[in-house]
Amino acid sequence: MLLKISLSGVKSRWKDYCVLFSGIIMASAIFYMFEAIALNKKFVSSTTVGQNARAVFILGSVLLIIITLVYVFYANNFLMSMRKHDYGLFMMLGAKRSKISKLISFETLIVGAASTLLGIVAGIGLTKIVSSFLITSLEIPIKYFQAIYVPAIWTTLILFMILFAIAGMINAGVFSRTAALKLLKSENQTDWKQPKTKRLVIQAVLGVLLLSGGYYAMYDIRQLQVGSIWIGLITIVAGTYLIFNSFFVMLLERIQQSSLNSKGINNFTIAQLKFRIRDYTKILSVVSLLFALALGAITVGIGFQSDIPEIANGNNAYAISATNPSAKMSSLIAKVEGKTTSHYQQKVTDKVVYYRSSDFNKSPLKYSAFVLKGNQAGLSQIKTSTLKQLKDPQSPAYQQLSSLQDPSLKSRRIRFISDTTFDQLRGRTNELQLIRVKDINSQYRSLKSVMDLQKTEFGSQTVQLMGESIVLYSMLKSMFSSMEFMGVFLGIAFLAMLASCLMFKILSGAQSDKVRFEMLNKIGTRKKVLQHSIMLQILGLFGLPAVLGLLDVAFGLQMFVKANLLYHAYRTFAYSSIGFLVLYLIYYGVTVLIYQKIVIPKTRSEK
Amino acid sequence: MTREIVKTQNLHKVYDQNSERPYEALKGISFTVDEGDFVGIMGASGSGKTTLLNILATLDKPTSGSVQIDGNDITQLTSNEMSDFRSQRLGFIFQDFNLLETLTVFENIALPLSLQNIKGRLTNQKVRESAAKLGIEELLAKYPTQLSGGQKQRVAAARALVSNPSIIFGDEPTGALDSTNARELLDTLKNINRQGVSVLLVTHDPFSASFCKRILFIKDGKIGDEIQAGNRDRTQFYQEILEKLGTFEQ
Repeated sequence: MLLKISLSGVKSRWKDYCVLFSGIIMASAIFYMFEAIALNKKFVSSTTVGQNARAVFILGSVLLIIITLVYVFYANNFLMSMRKHDYGLFMMLGAKRSKISKLISFETLIVGAASTLLGIVAGIGLTKIVSSFLITSLEIPIKYFQAIYVPAIWTTLILFMILFAIAGMINAGVFSRTAALKLLKSENQTDWKQPKTKRLVIQAVLGVLLLSGGYYAMYDIRQLQVGSIWIGLITIVAGTYLIFNSFFVMLLERIQQSSLNSKGINNFTIAQLKFRIRDYTKILSVVSLLFALALGAITVGIGFQSDIPEIANGNNAYAISATNPSAKMSSLIAKVEGKTTSHYQQKVTDKVVYYRSSDFNKSPLKYSAFVLKGNQAGLSQIKTSTLKQLKDPQSPAYQQLSSLQDPSLKSRRIRFISDTTFDQLRGRTNELQLIRVKDINSQYRSLKSVMDLQKTEFGSQTVQLMGESIVLYSMLKSMFSSMEFMGVFLGIAFLAMLASCLMFKILSGAQSDKVRFEMLNKIGTRKKVLQHSIMLQILGLFGLPAVLGLLDVAFGLQMFVKANLLYHAYRTFAYSSIGFLVLYLIYYGVTVLIYQKIVIPKTRSEK
Repeated sequence: MTREIVKTQNLHKVYDQNSERPYEALKGISFTVDEGDFVGIMGASGSGKTTLLNILATLDKPTSGSVQIDGNDITQLTSNEMSDFRSQRLGFIFQDFNLLETLTVFENIALPLSLQNIKGRLTNQKVRESAAKLGIEELLAKYPTQLSGGQKQRVAAARALVSNPSIIFGDEPTGALDSTNARELLDTLKNINRQGVSVLLVTHDPFSASFCKRILFIKDGKIGDEIQAGNRDRTQFYQEILEKLGTFEQ
């Protein structure tokens, strides 16, 4: 009988349950998506970064499990906030505690199992979509990757069932210890305490000091080396917590004292936000840190990818070289756009390769060389060589030319001679074509087809040894693109998870907010004003962690810049954070809509 | 001639009009509340008193009939106009106080004023005046959680008074108070009423009702009876209410 009543309770609040369901579905889908990669040993070790990737994924899994734990905990709280009253009522009517406990555990498990199963199905779909999107848009060759991966299904199912079993037991425990009356009236209890000013100030100052200390440590990675990572990790975690617990609260108190406060229901909005921030310190800190981690992972992942042209060009100024290209090769080369081709005539003897000096005077050879800035290693730059430089076998220009010749000529010396001497030399005249492209990224496909043809002509071993920048480019691309794939994948999974966490934490407070908004409506607050207040409150809760997270990444990237690992860190950061924020904003919008639906009283005519 | 603060004519309210079994909560209610009146509305659960209060408070619209408050036909207002009307012309005291725990007493009382965008100095003056009427000036800096039930309800009353409303509506305002605090609040309401503010109280508690000047009894959506305190003292009036309830609810 009680079971029937309990199920009818679920039915009558199915809208709220939908929110809960979709959240858990989301969480398990994301977890599945992640595990589908992490557990797939064949796939992970097939990527060029193989072993490192496994470590990244193990770490990622652990972090994701922790977030999932937090998430299930909040989702469970949300469930209980809906059910407390009903169960309290059953107990008032004389239902035995043991019976209620069983019922609660049962309900928690059913809700958990049903949504986890749906989540896995959603996860399979999601994995398919995300991976095929990444593979086509990043041109990543991915082998062994499967959207339906049985070990991942089991892992997800087992983990979530364990989590919900624990949650069910905790719920049962709470109910069997709490008096029925207290459950019935639980919605009316609040525990707002005005924080003490002195403690706030100390915490705020300490928070700012710790955070800026952490930022400085990351900035100064050259001096501190690995220590900078550890210092950063500890100070930033502690600093973030203190900043949420005090700095933002003080900031809001400042606003409360300003004239802004007396406008409309601003004082309500700000006071609520202040209360919320203190209440949510832990989750907001976690969200802000995870936000930084996820965004950082994406930025660094993509950042490496965008380094490739620089690294490849730094190795050689020319994308492709061809000696006496065949008709087929010529037609492939013709397809390359935005190129400049230099032609050099060449005659070969047993020990020497001769070139016309005049050719090099007409179109001087470009070469790449490292430019040192002080004692910091700088970027390599493309320079134009003089004939004199070219004649020196030790010069980078000479060595580059040597590497660009037909592989069979490697051991021969290079000489530059006048036109008359050249013409008198016997032997066949070869033509060496050196091709530079403006934008190696956009021409990757056509350049690669040239390179592939070379591989069939000379064998791929030989081509790997040639100096053409496309060779290094394509090698780095396959290596970095798996890193990029993982970075983006990890980032999206984390973002989705942390935003869902935050969403549920906020929504679980909606029930108790209902009565406040009803009162505000009764004393004559316009609906628009109420909606606006909700938008602002939730914006604060979503926005502040994002701001801190963005700052974390902005300073964290210094580690990569200073260590010369990323060349365009901040350009990539701009793009990735825009993409990231769009996704985050969607979560914000959804949270606002659901929240408004729950708390804003309908006028009778709307009912 | 005294001014009519509330005037309802032939109010009807039908729920689920288009369903198979429409429910008529109000069946033609007409009455007036004059300036300075203290009216009680009594009736059993389901008699329609909450529906009536919601319509008077512009939280609900009647199916037919008219309601005028201070000369304004409130049934013709848009949703925004209704909100503004509530914040400027009506005061509310609820059963469960409904104070915001995150705001100080001062800020709670000032809430209706800030809805009208009244600025600092005037707000300060009005809040202090209102608090003085209820004897809670020393509580202004405190938070609701630091107050007793009786104090909270006085804060709620101060909030209801702060925008000089045409009328104060009380919805079982003593419902959550012990007898001492309930009595104190009712005395306060009586005092406020003596200063010229009209009060309309919805209650099923005869003790609360005995503070009114006039009581309307609602039964099955209609006004069944009306009694006046006249020159009798409160104890006598209380007796009559009890007797009336005895016969009325048979």
